[in-house]
Amino acid sequence: MLQYTFKRLLLTIPTFFAITLIIFLVLNIAPGRPGATGGADQGESTTGQEAQESYRIFKEQFNLDKPILLNFRYLTTEQDVRAWLTTAYGLEGEPKAAEKIVAKDNLDDYGNVIVPHLIALLDDTDAEVARQAARHLTMAGKLRFAKGDSEEVRQENKDIQAYNMAIAGWTYKADADAATIQEAKERWKAWYGENEAKYQLSTGGVAYTTFFDTRFANYWWNLINLDFGVSTVDRTPVLDNVLAKMRYTIILSTLSILIAYFLAIPIGIFSAVRQGTPEDSVVTVLLFIGYSLPTFFTGTVLLQLLSTGDPVAWFPTGNFNSLDYESLTTLEQVGDVAWHLVLPLATYTSVSLAALSRYARTGVIDVIRSDYIRTARAKGLSEFVVIMKLAVRNGMIPVLTLLGGLLPSLIAGSVIIEVIFNIPGMGRLLFDSINLRDYNTVMALLMASSGLALIGILISDLSYAFADPRISFD
Amino acid sequence: MTSATEPVEVTTDPTYGELVWSQFRKRGLAMASLFGVLFLVAVAVYAPLFVSDKPFIWVTAEGAQSPWLGSLFDRNFFESTLDIFFNVLMVTSLATVPIVAATYWMSRNLGRHGRKKWRSRGLLAAIAIILVVFSAVTVFPTKNPKVVYDRVEQSLIDKGEEVTAVYPVLPYSFRKVNVRETLEPISLRHPLGTDKAGRDVAARMIYGTRISLTIGVFAVAIYITVGIIVGGIAGFYGGRVDVAIQRLIEIVMCIPSFFLILTVAAFIPDRSIFHIMFIIAAVRWTGPARLVRAEFLRLRKLDFVAAAEAAGYRTPWIIFREILPNAIGPVLVSATFGVASAILLESSISFLGLGDITVPSWGQILAAGRTTGNWILILAPGFAIFITVSLLNLMGEGFRDALDPKMRK
Repeated sequence: MLQYTFKRLLLTIPTFFAITLIIFLVLNIAPGRPGATGGADQGESTTGQEAQESYRIFKEQFNLDKPILLNFRYLTTEQDVRAWLTTAYGLEGEPKAAEKIVAKDNLDDYGNVIVPHLIALLDDTDAEVARQAARHLTMAGKLRFAKGDSEEVRQENKDIQAYNMAIAGWTYKADADAATIQEAKERWKAWYGENEAKYQLSTGGVAYTTFFDTRFANYWWNLINLDFGVSTVDRTPVLDNVLAKMRYTIILSTLSILIAYFLAIPIGIFSAVRQGTPEDSVVTVLLFIGYSLPTFFTGTVLLQLLSTGDPVAWFPTGNFNSLDYESLTTLEQVGDVAWHLVLPLATYTSVSLAALSRYARTGVIDVIRSDYIRTARAKGLSEFVVIMKLAVRNGMIPVLTLLGGLLPSLIAGSVIIEVIFNIPGMGRLLFDSINLRDYNTVMALLMASSGLALIGILISDLSYAFADPRISFD
Repeated sequence: MTSATEPVEVTTDPTYGELVWSQFRKRGLAMASLFGVLFLVAVAVYAPLFVSDKPFIWVTAEGAQSPWLGSLFDRNFFESTLDIFFNVLMVTSLATVPIVAATYWMSRNLGRHGRKKWRSRGLLAAIAIILVVFSAVTVFPTKNPKVVYDRVEQSLIDKGEEVTAVYPVLPYSFRKVNVRETLEPISLRHPLGTDKAGRDVAARMIYGTRISLTIGVFAVAIYITVGIIVGGIAGFYGGRVDVAIQRLIEIVMCIPSFFLILTVAAFIPDRSIFHIMFIIAAVRWTGPARLVRAEFLRLRKLDFVAAAEAAGYRTPWIIFREILPNAIGPVLVSATFGVASAILLESSISFLGLGDITVPSWGQILAAGRTTGNWILILAPGFAIFITVSLLNLMGEGFRDALDPKMRK
């Protein structure tokens, strides 16, 4: 058993890795750019320039300037860079708007990689290409700020800032005289002569860049350090936010599971014992209805019926607790939360209750038919003992093993419940974040829910193994 | 597999399909739910017969015409391909239903092989007709000018001209906004009232049947196909291929599918119901894949597969013509339940406002009911979803029992 648990746990790690990979790819390939709505004005005006710069910094901050999975950018040639320059500034014919954006993004994103090519392009026969190459050198040659908050880091960043400001001036206007142009070009070449080593990749560097200088590798590195990044919307740490919201969802789903089990087992036993009677039929039909009613329908109807004041307003219209929650005594606080949770829990539980009761009923019926129950009855045990001690104990094993599988489905259902009843949990957060295109939060929520799902499946597998000694891990 | 010389049969020993059907027929609830589902399909297909703001017959001084008939394949009126497809089904049903019925009726006294042959020919002919007409109206789209007939009628009457117009029972379009009749209660004019934009709810509900059924059936068709191929490969080849595919299935099953569906749906610009179908299919294919794999693992070891291999049939033939027909039963049962759950999933997505916002989906109507607090808008789509899902689940249960030899009556 211990060995099985250990192996099963070990298997969870590659599975989790694969899941994060899939989710990451889906999110990164999905159309629509995060933050693009806020800052990527593609105009040539000063504000456009500033907006472009702030979008570039934004991309850098969230590693969005890096390739998704594998980095082959060192294969870029001088021709590629020249083609981007001509497309981005419409130097040879009028390119499509989309092509222009892609070319500009590439020039921004490739950063260091294209520095040697830009230096070479300074001597291009087309004067405008050379000018734009110099302009892009001021961005590609910039140093990145160090992360941290100590005095030394701050000093270092000040130096970097001064340096970046200095090289930003090494450009020239299109109508500048030959001497100015020559001077700027000479400056860049001298600069490159000093820094050349930085822009040449060694063999080890190639391997490192290919696999690790990517969005996914960076994301995973941050994950290992439990750093889920900050929200792309309000720049608050994602992890704190998700953990705070997760509390509500966990409370809600745990309570729902408990209630479902408390009700489902007696209902299942009742209708199994009375199999074929009218009572059994009534219960079966009711359970079937509960099973087919969509939660968003039940939730909406309950809310409309019992809390809008038309016809009655017995329950609050939403939220987890009242506004004056802090000022209440502990007992009142519990009462307040309970009062708020009646409707969401009723909605939440209806579906799992129906499913569980059906399983409980079949479980008990299967056992009642078996030989040892007949033997027990034949030797004169009372019906109560036969059912409660023998039938129920064995019949409930399949129902108990369902426990693990319920958790993922409840987490999934949390979106609808929390949106309807306005509970500030994980589902609500996901709904808000996807509407705001908050990639980091969405990613963290997907990871958290797949983590919970994995835990659920693990519990379910382990409980199978626990209940049935024949199961082993080959 | 048919041999070159067809055996002449006089006995009427039933085919597998007929055996299952005779079992299914004995279950009252299952039969009732089958009729219920057929009724829903009929509502979806014949929707324009009951709901359309184009008159069937339009007689003025200039002559008689049928704007309704002209609107059926009109891209300006039925904008979505889905509606055009259903209209094709409606029009071609004049031919397809008699053909299928006739082949069934005429072949009823033939032997087993004769029945199979004629019935499949009848079905193929019907499908061919539908496809030909559908591709014709897709390749040559018609676009008629937009005419608001009831207003034209009013102005002609005001001028003192004589107009005869015969409209469908509900003379509304599911899309047309009417700001003067918002949130009307139930009345004779509007059997289910109107919504916030003044659109007739009954009209939207009826056209919503098309959306739900299409998403259910197509999403399931897509993922069942994927599941059969992937599961079949895993079960047939076994070994390393099987291990790799099983790992993949396990991983996909661990992904929180509803969260992922919502996220992907939200990130698609201008999403249509076809996107929603593919997203549902992308996370749901693992179920049938596991079923098919298990069946293939079992059937693979049986003698008839060895015989087919010895006879020199190629692997695709063995997989699709020998093993698959024997493994398809449980897959079809799970498909019936799958349609129900896909419909539920689509309405949840639309309820959260992440579906196709241009179509009158039931979930979307319910969401409108939630925000306006209008009871009709909550109850009508809610019960429609509930009834559809229940009927499909009951049908699936009947189907499952009919396939189970232990439950044979």
